[in-house]
Amino acid sequence: MDTLQVIKSSASHLLPALILLIGGSVLMCASVFMRTAVAYNVHGLRNRFAIISLALLIAAIVASFVRGTPELGPMDVGLFRFDGSAIAAERLAFLGGLILILMSWSTAPARHLPEYYGCLLIILSAIPIVGASNDLVSLFLGLELVSIPTYVLLGIVKTDNHGYESAIKYFMLSAFASCFFLLGVSYLYGVSGSTNLTVIQSDYQLGKRLMSLGLVLVMCGLSFRITAVPFHFYAPDVFDGTSVTLAGVMSYLPKVAGFVALIRIVGTDGLGSGASQTVIPVLLVCAGLTMCVGNVMAFAQNNLRRLLAYSSVAHTGYLLLALVALLRQDASSNILFSYLAAYAAMTLGLFACLGEIEAAGGKSHLVGDLSGMFYRRPAASIGLSVALISLIGLPLTAGFWAKFIVFVGVVADRRPDSYSLWMGVLMAVNAVVAAGYYWRLLSTLYERSDAQIPLRVFRPSLFVAYTICTVLTVVWFFIPAIM
Amino acid sequence: MNYLIPLLIFVPLVSGVGVLLAGNRSKAASSVGVAAAVLTLLLSALLAVQVYVSPTVSGLGSILPRAIMSPDVLQFSLPISSGNYDIRWRLVFGADGISALLVLLTGIVGCITILLATRQIQSRLASYIGLLLVTIAMLMGVFLAMDLVSFYVFFEAVLIPLILLINGWGNGPEPMVASKKFLLFTLAGSIPMVIGLIALAMSPVNIGEGAISRPSTISLLELSEYASAAVAQGSTSVAGSQSVWIVWLLLLGFGIKLAILPLHSWLPTTYAAAHPNTTALVASVVAKLGLYGIIRIVIPLAPMALAEQAQFVIGGLGAIAIVYGALLALAQNDMRLVLAYSSISHVGFITLGLMSLTSEGLAGATLQMFNHGLITASMFWILAMLEERRGRISLSLEDRGMAAQYPKLAVLMVFFVLAGAGLPGLNGFVGEVLAMTGMMRVSGTLVAIAVLGTLLGAWYGLRIVQRLLFGSAGSPEGHASKHEGDLHTIEWAPLAAVALLCLVIGIVPSRVMALFQSDTDRLAKVTEPMTQQAHPNFDTLISSVTPAIER
Repeated sequence: MDTLQVIKSSASHLLPALILLIGGSVLMCASVFMRTAVAYNVHGLRNRFAIISLALLIAAIVASFVRGTPELGPMDVGLFRFDGSAIAAERLAFLGGLILILMSWSTAPARHLPEYYGCLLIILSAIPIVGASNDLVSLFLGLELVSIPTYVLLGIVKTDNHGYESAIKYFMLSAFASCFFLLGVSYLYGVSGSTNLTVIQSDYQLGKRLMSLGLVLVMCGLSFRITAVPFHFYAPDVFDGTSVTLAGVMSYLPKVAGFVALIRIVGTDGLGSGASQTVIPVLLVCAGLTMCVGNVMAFAQNNLRRLLAYSSVAHTGYLLLALVALLRQDASSNILFSYLAAYAAMTLGLFACLGEIEAAGGKSHLVGDLSGMFYRRPAASIGLSVALISLIGLPLTAGFWAKFIVFVGVVADRRPDSYSLWMGVLMAVNAVVAAGYYWRLLSTLYERSDAQIPLRVFRPSLFVAYTICTVLTVVWFFIPAIM
Repeated sequence: MNYLIPLLIFVPLVSGVGVLLAGNRSKAASSVGVAAAVLTLLLSALLAVQVYVSPTVSGLGSILPRAIMSPDVLQFSLPISSGNYDIRWRLVFGADGISALLVLLTGIVGCITILLATRQIQSRLASYIGLLLVTIAMLMGVFLAMDLVSFYVFFEAVLIPLILLINGWGNGPEPMVASKKFLLFTLAGSIPMVIGLIALAMSPVNIGEGAISRPSTISLLELSEYASAAVAQGSTSVAGSQSVWIVWLLLLGFGIKLAILPLHSWLPTTYAAAHPNTTALVASVVAKLGLYGIIRIVIPLAPMALAEQAQFVIGGLGAIAIVYGALLALAQNDMRLVLAYSSISHVGFITLGLMSLTSEGLAGATLQMFNHGLITASMFWILAMLEERRGRISLSLEDRGMAAQYPKLAVLMVFFVLAGAGLPGLNGFVGEVLAMTGMMRVSGTLVAIAVLGTLLGAWYGLRIVQRLLFGSAGSPEGHASKHEGDLHTIEWAPLAAVALLCLVIGIVPSRVMALFQSDTDRLAKVTEPMTQQAHPNFDTLISSVTPAIER
């Protein structure tokens, strides 16, 4: 079957992603004609672009519902493969997209609205593509579709020198990471003689050394996207230098893309003994370092953005442990997807609340800026509290199940000579450290402070965004099956 | 299928959330809350009666609930598989004698706490009652859970309403700091504990020679069957295997909750900061969660590792806690701290009884959980009433001669102090003596230390009575407050009822113990061979005394 035919047949399955991709591209083109309109009607433009983007997203969601869950046919060994992971990635993208577009509604930079929404939609479209790809080429295409618009976004949302610095930093490091990824891909291709992931995965079982080297290099490349230590250095600077909404984008979308790509590359059948002997220790060390560095650094921060960046790093560490459980076949890939969904609800909810506080005239740059926020902005503070409780991982929130399932997955390993119990204990200790700094944020919200001026500006879109997140966070605790 | 069990969790939960949402402006909300609390008390009493009259069931495991609820609807599959078994989470709730006793305790203490709150809490009363009801629902969930996941979920969920209660209504110094300490300490125990729980469910048990594979399960009932089977087959040493770490992880979590000695420092801070009415619930029921966890999970599921590794460490810490807590209680002047340290001291007796792993010790410890719950809650309620009248109570010399002013309060206080000190004829005596008898069969040294503690216990108890109640003629100086004079009916009647209950337990303990005796005996059947096997030399007293008796 030639490639063209495969692409044609995949097109119907990829329709939701294509809607977003084409819509995003058209919006980008629109920027050329919109230049003059900016000056006189900013609010109208804001509403128009946000509604167009939402409409595109809803069209994509409808398309995915209409398509349903496709059967796995013989066709699905080509460029794309529509299995459970693909569907899950698509849903994660929709969830994130919905919240992020709502968050952007009133916070997007007025001078670059078309580019902003165009880039956002293209990133959203890239995640289903990554999720469905069954070939190194399409995978790389999807990953670059995530990162290139991200450079643009960081560039146009810049506020000051910090912003420029973070954009440049992200660009350089991201290119560097892509090089790692490609180097690994070249090894995988060289050993197996194919770019097809199905072929490559069957070759893992042979246990060739070069194969593991290639795998580790690919993982290095992806570690950058998921902000795993030692590729995390950009995260605090980028979060610090950009807007709240974009910090939300950065904490979620690249992470989803990276983890979905990791799941695709290692496959759901587990690695052979040869490859897993090399890869699992690397991943375990990486996960341990990521958790510890993330939490310890976050503990020491007074800058709220940097704190959240490091907390995002720490969550990557937990997710990496879940990935190890997946590699050992103790868990299905749902363990990662449900964690990511819970993570979306709590982290994006948190950023949406911060966004509302900023939009209403408050500050949210330092931890101290939130002092007494409950008395100034009760609704957003309650949303923040739920998100923080979920991030701590207490019951009555989705974060509890996310952490609990990862714990189960990690400890489920029944081989006698394993370190998994210790990794579980390390993760538990990290969770306690994390509870310390999340609690500091929580108590800051409720402390009595001198500045008692209520913030009264109301932004419906942000309110809706964090209400969705808060409700999902609570509902998912009671009905974990739908997560 | 038992409908009392879901009702016990849902009545307080739904009414609590309802009262919370109704807000503080509506007058009816707090009355609804009180009604729900009374209903919960009735339901818990019904459950206790049901368990009491139901015949003993027979089975393999050491946990055999006499009332059980596990609908097929509540089954979830987790995205985890272990050794090719998919893990399914089936919710199992049930009650044996031990659960029923603690459910009853929660019902009694919760109901009275809410009743008294209507007089003592001035601001945001409805929210306070709502949060208390939610806490009660979570506590019921812990005591009724019969699978590890439900147990852990409720165990953790207790924290959230409790933190809000400590923070929102705390009138001590820095409630924020105290609740942070409480949260972090508890999480530092309970998050590592979850690793232990999962490993317990997943790890293979040692039976005979090698580790045999068994399906991973989270049901306590099945796990206890495997553990009993392992004991029955005469399994040997556990050293070096995973179960050693599992036991320590579990004991860390439960130990922090019960404020075992080196990990106790959250307790005085929290008790000093929270409103004494809240503290009554925390000290009497929430602090029991750790003890309940040990008797429900550690003892039946990991008896070998416990006997071999931790029995004397934890038992010794308990014995030291008895003396250390009593000494600190003697040294404090703040009444809240006196009661906090006395609570640490009393919990030491329960720990000692549990760690004896003998049938007397376990029965005594279980009874003492109930007794200590009643006594310590009553002391904190009395303290709340006193603080309402006189402000923060200090034992330094100014506050003297209150017996003349508040005769009813004085009578109740003397009664509960004596019960706490272990006066024969009252309930504290029975539990402590049984716990020490149990320990006597294992280690005489620890009992010797504990006996010293009873002496000190009487000392600090009488110090409270002497400093506060008697002395120079009552000087009605002090604070103008809403309530002057002696106790109102709504204040003394519940306490008198509790006092009556204490008296009944003290006079006919065997009737009350019939509720859970068969359950603790079944536990002891598993643990006694273990402790003898693990510590053949420690049993000196038995080996020296038994021949003498036989002769």
